[in-house]
Amino acid sequence: MRQGGSSKSGFPLTSTRSFAGLLFVLAAIWYAASSQNNAASYLLLFALMGVFLVSIPRTLLNLGGLQATAESIKPAFAGQEISLPVEVTNESRATRYGIALTLPDLGDARKRIDEIPPGKAARTVLRFPAATRGEHEIGRLHLSSVYPLGFLRVLKQLPSPQRYVVYPKPAGDQRLPAETVRSGQRSSQRELGEGDDFAGVRAYVRGESQRHIDWKAVARGQALMTKQFTAESDGLLYLDLAAMRFGDLEARLSQLTLWVIEAERARRPYGLRLPAIEIPPSLGEPHFHHCLRTLALFQ
Amino acid sequence: MKVVRKQDTRIPRRPLLWLAAALLFTLPPMFGTLPSWVPLLFLIALAAKFWMEPKGYRLRSLVWKLVLVALILSLLFFSYGSIRGMEPGVSLIVMLTSVKILEAHTAREFHIMIMVAWILCLCGFFLSQNLAIALCLLIAFTLLLVALIQFHRGPLSAFWSPVRTAGKLLAQAAPLIILLFLFFPRLSTGFRFQIAPQREASTGFSDRLSPGSVSFLANSSEVAFRAEFPDGKIPPLSAMYWRGLVMWHGEGLEWAAPNAPAALPRTSQGTPHGQAIRQWITIEAHDARWMFALDRPVNSPSGATLAPGNYLWSNQPIHKPRRYEVISYPEIPNNRLHSREREPLLEVPTAISPAVRALAQSWSAEKAEPRAIVNKALEFFRTQGFHYSLSPGEYGKNDLDEFLFHRRLGFCEHYAASFATLMRLAGIPARVVTGYLGGEYNEIGHFFLVRQADAHAWCEVWFPDSGWQRIDPTAAVAPDRVNLGFNSFLERRGAAAGHLDNTQSVLARELARWPAFDRARLGWQTLSYAWDTRVLSFDGDEQESFFASIGIPSHRQIFLIVGTVVIAIALLLALYAAWTHLRTRPCGDRLKIMYESFCRKAARLGAPRNPSEGPFDFSRRATRLLPDESDRIRRIAKAYIALRYAPAPDPTTLEQFAEEVNGFVRAS
Repeated sequence: MRQGGSSKSGFPLTSTRSFAGLLFVLAAIWYAASSQNNAASYLLLFALMGVFLVSIPRTLLNLGGLQATAESIKPAFAGQEISLPVEVTNESRATRYGIALTLPDLGDARKRIDEIPPGKAARTVLRFPAATRGEHEIGRLHLSSVYPLGFLRVLKQLPSPQRYVVYPKPAGDQRLPAETVRSGQRSSQRELGEGDDFAGVRAYVRGESQRHIDWKAVARGQALMTKQFTAESDGLLYLDLAAMRFGDLEARLSQLTLWVIEAERARRPYGLRLPAIEIPPSLGEPHFHHCLRTLALFQ
Repeated sequence: MKVVRKQDTRIPRRPLLWLAAALLFTLPPMFGTLPSWVPLLFLIALAAKFWMEPKGYRLRSLVWKLVLVALILSLLFFSYGSIRGMEPGVSLIVMLTSVKILEAHTAREFHIMIMVAWILCLCGFFLSQNLAIALCLLIAFTLLLVALIQFHRGPLSAFWSPVRTAGKLLAQAAPLIILLFLFFPRLSTGFRFQIAPQREASTGFSDRLSPGSVSFLANSSEVAFRAEFPDGKIPPLSAMYWRGLVMWHGEGLEWAAPNAPAALPRTSQGTPHGQAIRQWITIEAHDARWMFALDRPVNSPSGATLAPGNYLWSNQPIHKPRRYEVISYPEIPNNRLHSREREPLLEVPTAISPAVRALAQSWSAEKAEPRAIVNKALEFFRTQGFHYSLSPGEYGKNDLDEFLFHRRLGFCEHYAASFATLMRLAGIPARVVTGYLGGEYNEIGHFFLVRQADAHAWCEVWFPDSGWQRIDPTAAVAPDRVNLGFNSFLERRGAAAGHLDNTQSVLARELARWPAFDRARLGWQTLSYAWDTRVLSFDGDEQESFFASIGIPSHRQIFLIVGTVVIAIALLLALYAAWTHLRTRPCGDRLKIMYESFCRKAARLGAPRNPSEGPFDFSRRATRLLPDESDRIRRIAKAYIALRYAPAPDPTTLEQFAEEVNGFVRAS
């Protein structure tokens, strides 16, 4: 029951497979009725034709007033699944039935919404495999419906400008480099950021994790402050693409991805060094995603 | 290439239930027309499906399927002797459907089942077309729509709402169906296939009159035909003799009509006397060629001839209900009878016993005048202890003696046959006429309903002065049969004898006393009559006369008609679409609609508004993207914000806003 081809033609109705069945049945009834001159069979033929004809405008209008909005998409690693939350709003004054959501540019992901009452919205999540690393576009979101009889399909193409990022697939058999790169410029071997030892407070910057906001200070009526900690560290871990001597680029990026994950999990501050890009060592979710995103988009 | 496996989705339970209900309603026409094991096996398959489905069982193995199909074919062959023909064909379809039911499992097969069910509806109409069957199949048809709608709605929807939707769909389709029914060209295609109905002409009437052939019908409430008198001239019930066949050839108690009567030459018809009575007769299919008309028809409707003896004979076997107009006169005096015509009318079988001969000759010896002989004979039946009985016992065709002298118990066929034989023996030309007598008047539909139970046989004798004259010896024996009609006659007699036949008739009689039931019964008969006359008889010829009546004289203009109908249907659909659209389009104020149209236009020019963007942010971005339109965009945004958020917007601003939005693309 998949949409065959993505016709750009203006007419939104296409026939389904059971339409062929209907044609066959109509032909059979017509043949039988005309050869026997059987008025009752003719009546059956016309009933079927009439109901089919009336179902055309019904099908055609079944998507009227439906708006679909794709919401923000969480990144995923290549080989995993991308989840695309979609909200379908029914702005019309009739209940809409049997709406299928597909992403014609992204394989055969398909979700069905059985019913949306007038003025209400329905949410669903479309899942599709994240194939290759990089930033991709959803492309088009198709709303389609074969309601009520299933002989015709009406299609509504919604351009979906949403983009999503696929991180490289974490893979590789190299151990996380143990050596650290001592930073000559830095006076302290301690890296401000996340760690166990409290080192002081500074002004909160939007976007930072809320875990380290000094809530007690907030309760006292002060401005938002972030508590800073230092981690005991032997040095700084730089994950360097140029330092890797194996595999092709994708394999190395995969290895780097795996290391980023391992380092984050081991709470070892890590930095990333790619040709023309350098991310200073740090820890934490924003940093983690920044690194992975950089790896994903690396050309 | 990657092989995409088809999704093997199971059929949800509720659509399956609706489908099963629809299939149940396709069954009634099969009972009674097909061997009863066919619909029974179908029912069993349906029940088995509901037992198998929750357990996940299904008919998978190809071997088993082949075995089942082979079994079915051999069963059919065993019971019919052949697979060809309509009934075996329909049985085959029903049985294969049963196998498909056991096998069907996926959503795709659900659709196939729906198609098959439609074909079963078609089969039903091939087996029977009466109103009750048509209503059953209409229910089946509607339930199939419900099943489809339920299937496409998904399992969550309310139980009754698909039924409502299906009803609405049918109601909206009704005008289209009527249009198509009236105007869709009924092509007489050259590729007619002959599914010769295997039905013998068993329903009632026969071209042989033998002892028991009419009394056999006395309990049959099946409809023979219905008659209307469009001019309102209705003969009395006792004179309502419906002429069917004239039997010239007699062998004692058994008489026969010619197999293929020639047409009656125009010249040998006499000049009709009395009042012309016009009738519209709708005859049920009986697969033979006799037709009925009030005694005696003078013209033949199209497709029929007037046979010697003034009876109607169809040119083709009547396989479907047929409506015709005929004019009858109560008398057609014709006193010309050549001697070579007279001779066969006096033929009697050689096996007549001397006692019977003596009886007949005793009358003719006494009086020479034919009328006196006839009266003598009627006198004999009236006074010699003859009784009219539904169950007179068995008679052979040579048991004239037994009937006339010993048992003296008979039904109309015995009286008519023996009377005609006696007349011939007495030297008076005589023949037997079979047909129906009386009928039930339906005061709602203003027509007479004649059942098989009204079948009757009577005599005609030839008088030199007035020609053929109807003589009904039954009237001499049981005058009430003629005066009251058969059912009332039976009722009166049953009441007099103080006995009732069986419990079912007790119930039927109790119900019949209840006026509402009686009215309902008459109403149903009227509907059924309308179905036969307005719908079933509307064929290619009727369509042509319909076209002629609305001023389209020839079928050469068929393309004109088709074109008009197609346009009419398209218009209806467009109207319907527009109406639905207006009824369901997004509700919103004018301002919002206009602003959205502005956004659409902007998007077309390359500046789509993000869902999260407010009107102000959007206008800033849009002016950058569309510098040519920047002034107008700014004005639109300003007006919109003012109208939307100002506490008391100026009403003239709305008009200005509308103008700006309208001019937005036109100017660019």
